[in-house]
Amino acid sequence: MRPATVLGVLAIAALLVAPLVLPVFAMTLLTELVILGLFAMSLDLMVGYTRLISFGHVAAYGLGAYASGFFLLNTEMPLIVAVLAAAAMTGVLAIGIGWICTLATGVSFSMLTLAFAQLLYAIAFKWTSVTGGSDGLAGIPRRPGPFGFDLFSSKTGFYFLALGCLLGSYLLCRALVNSPFGAVLRGIRENEAKTLSLGYNTRLYKIAVVAVAYAFGALAGALYSPFAGFANTELLFWLLSGQVLIMVIVGGSGTLIGPILGAAFFMLLEHQLSSYTEAWALFFGLVFIAFVLFAPEGIWGLARSWFGRSQPAETKATGNPS
Amino acid sequence: MTTKPRISRRSMLAGSTAAVASPFIWTSAQAQAANTIKIGLPLALTGPLGSVGQQQKRGAELYAKLQNEKGGLIGRKIELLIEDTVGNPATCVRKAQEMVERHDCRLFTGITLSSEALAIVPKLAEWNSIFISSDNGDGRLTAASFVPNFFRANTSGPMGTRAVSLYLKQSPMKKFFAIGLDYAWGHNSVQVFEDEVKKMGREFIGKVFAPTGTKDYSTYITKIRQSGADAVYTVLAGDDNNAFLAQAAQYKLASRMAMLAEQLELSAMRAVGDACLGMIVSSRYAFTIDNPKNKEFVELWKKAHDGLVPDQFEGEQWQCMRVFEAGIIKAGGIEADKLRPALEDLTIDDIKGKVHMRKCDHQGVQQGFIVKAVKKEGFSHPVPEVIATLPADQVTPPCNKMTYDD
Amino acid sequence: MSELALLLNQSVNALSQAALLFFLGVGLTLIFGIMRIINFAHGTLYMLGAFVGYSIVHATGSFWVALVLAPVVVGVLGLLFELFILRRLYQREAHAFLMVTFGLALVTGEAIRLIWGSDALQVPAPPALSGVIFLLDEPFPVYRLFLASSGIVVAIAIWQILERTRLGLLIRATSQNAEMVHALGVDVNLVRSGVFGIGCGLAALGGVLAAPLVTASHGMAATAVIDAFVIVIIGGMGSFLGSLIGAVLVAFVQVFGNYYYPDLALAFMYLVMLTVLIVRPGGLLGKEA
Repeated sequence: MRPATVLGVLAIAALLVAPLVLPVFAMTLLTELVILGLFAMSLDLMVGYTRLISFGHVAAYGLGAYASGFFLLNTEMPLIVAVLAAAAMTGVLAIGIGWICTLATGVSFSMLTLAFAQLLYAIAFKWTSVTGGSDGLAGIPRRPGPFGFDLFSSKTGFYFLALGCLLGSYLLCRALVNSPFGAVLRGIRENEAKTLSLGYNTRLYKIAVVAVAYAFGALAGALYSPFAGFANTELLFWLLSGQVLIMVIVGGSGTLIGPILGAAFFMLLEHQLSSYTEAWALFFGLVFIAFVLFAPEGIWGLARSWFGRSQPAETKATGNPS
Repeated sequence: MTTKPRISRRSMLAGSTAAVASPFIWTSAQAQAANTIKIGLPLALTGPLGSVGQQQKRGAELYAKLQNEKGGLIGRKIELLIEDTVGNPATCVRKAQEMVERHDCRLFTGITLSSEALAIVPKLAEWNSIFISSDNGDGRLTAASFVPNFFRANTSGPMGTRAVSLYLKQSPMKKFFAIGLDYAWGHNSVQVFEDEVKKMGREFIGKVFAPTGTKDYSTYITKIRQSGADAVYTVLAGDDNNAFLAQAAQYKLASRMAMLAEQLELSAMRAVGDACLGMIVSSRYAFTIDNPKNKEFVELWKKAHDGLVPDQFEGEQWQCMRVFEAGIIKAGGIEADKLRPALEDLTIDDIKGKVHMRKCDHQGVQQGFIVKAVKKEGFSHPVPEVIATLPADQVTPPCNKMTYDD
Repeated sequence: MSELALLLNQSVNALSQAALLFFLGVGLTLIFGIMRIINFAHGTLYMLGAFVGYSIVHATGSFWVALVLAPVVVGVLGLLFELFILRRLYQREAHAFLMVTFGLALVTGEAIRLIWGSDALQVPAPPALSGVIFLLDEPFPVYRLFLASSGIVVAIAIWQILERTRLGLLIRATSQNAEMVHALGVDVNLVRSGVFGIGCGLAALGGVLAAPLVTASHGMAATAVIDAFVIVIIGGMGSFLGSLIGAVLVAFVQVFGNYYYPDLALAFMYLVMLTVLIVRPGGLLGKEA
């Protein structure tokens, strides 16, 4: 078996038995890591596979979080239904967002995604009757059901729900990028003009990948609000968009797994550094600069090279004058 | 082009793995001093609200240090668990949860933002933890969002505004305008002010709200000038407060009308300098409060901090620690089920005078202070001089409410 | 206040705000034009300018000295960063620049906190600029007039440099076709370093000028970086004139919009950006499709 597959199986096994081995506080952290990992992986579809750099991915996260929070607080929807419904709803909305954003390319595209995220932030702030305004939604319950099935309402149960969503999403995304659809995405990433000239409606593909990425991002957000018990405007704050983008890059873009590791790395490093020193942000920033200089393929690239598979350094796509 | 030495990449991978794996390695070599009283403070130590969080930290640290020198509380030393949340509610919940689950810390204080407090409060029951607020002013924490494990030792937003309104009863000013930050606290306080002005039979001309992060207040200042009011009441904080005051001073707004504020702590007075001279402000704590306990506290503070006097949030945090102290001593322990009833109906008499933690909504019933920003010898910037004290029962709202009936 | 006085008052306000936004945006657009770098740290450099300005004012007693020195200090620091770190990354993807400038923003932000503390610091305007003049019987701060004029002066200066000097020619040529410029024997790296330094210096200049209005504070960077990006995108990435137009447009919309519709204050900038990008995806004067 290839080293990567062995590693993968071991990782999944470790994740499955974690609740038996790890202390409670570590399980809480791990659950949050799983959710963030899903969030980062969703962005990789856009950034890593299609070179659509989004500055507004919190829009997906925030929409998902508020939607599932709203459903859980105001309807009888069971947890799993609320979460999936929130993700689906966001995916549909994202078709519209993607349609507008893909009117532009390059940095203009990125700024359009930011604009949408900021507008959603403003709406969440002002639409107090639905979103709770600046106070947000609090006391979000993990409603059991259907049929009284309340496995997911407990801490460990919720962890398995999140893990299941991550693994399921990963498999779906892996299938997607390995499919002909994924091949077109890569074509767009390498050379959109050429892909267009081959007869593909690249804009439609871009809109589709935005919708899918937002749906999975919203799934992560939809899991977050019942996990933390609240949803507020900070979840739509643009800083998080920047952070998740960095998670994708530091993990290794275009690999799906890399961003999951990147999210874990980012959050844990911040968590640990900030408990050692107030000046943690200084070291945190230095770490990222170091990664850029010494580990261009990110964490996943490092891991793979450790297993003996070397990866060429990322270089600019051909055909563009500097 | 850079070469990529395999050694440095391996060490990077090793370093990264070690750094992030640490929370998952349960070490029994935790430096857990046996039997300390752990109090958790998930504060905004860095970021835009860092100034407030640092004040809370200093207030708690001085208290803990001095109290531990006296032997601690009920024979146990106080151990403060201080973590940086950068003002982010998600981080605050994460840190607080770790304090509960990893360190068995069940007492909390020093949460900087109301949005963080609102995220924490629903979890208190699940964590079996008591949270005594030293700074969170959002009215709902003792109203719609109230939970039994929450106590508020500090002056709330509505209380601050009410103090100003009561003070204005003796003033001849008739027409008022208000500006607030465009989120829950700003809206709540401006609403209280509007209600109070109308109850007094005076004219409330209008109000305007600015989003947090506004850099240019010129439009708002123009509106305020145009209103023809005798006074403007400002419900702003932090960077927004400083920017508004600096710019209002440039427009010489103070020459046209009186300027009143719900918040203007010492560090803000330092930041805007003479721009705030003459302002009348509701103060949650000022070093010029005249009672023996406060004088003693100010001296202790100056000794510990190179001659600096304590600021608003430092004093509030100190008072909050005193409430903890009284409650823990009365309960004889720190378990939530013992501490909660001990804190209810508790009264302390400390740097702000009497504070009574009432049973119905756990709000600390306390006096309101009105200060004026004046020049004082020995200071290069304006300082808050207490000019009026309002009685506790008039300043504190009715139980579980954030507005006033009378 | 009469309608005319109000209009005049608001317009000068908008111009002063536009000046600040222009300083933020022009540095970013110059940097992007030459290097295609999206500089996450731009707002932090603006903030650094304000704090360095504070220290210089305290050391020399003169705001004017700070106005000249602070941008130089920050510009030099930017130059050093480009020299030692950014220069290694030109063959790399945009990702590298995003992450390295993200790291720079974190490091600089925390360094500022370690050096100057957590509190906001007062940077008073010089006495000569602290008064009011009367426009149609309404008091208007001299400082804002100064800001508006500085914006105009600097804009003209940059324009002249770009159009009339060899440096300007090199900058414009490099932003269009760096390889050709290199083939003509010019040290393109030097041009890049210089432009990056100048861009950082301009951001810092904005910070020093803003400080008397908002104090030198830790929240400055966050709002500044977004403002800078919005203006530059509206005007068109890489276009100097675009950054000027973007600044003026956003400032006027915000000032007048906030007056008549304060509820939408949070959203105005983004609505303008959305509208412009839908109609012209590359920005008003941009080249990108």
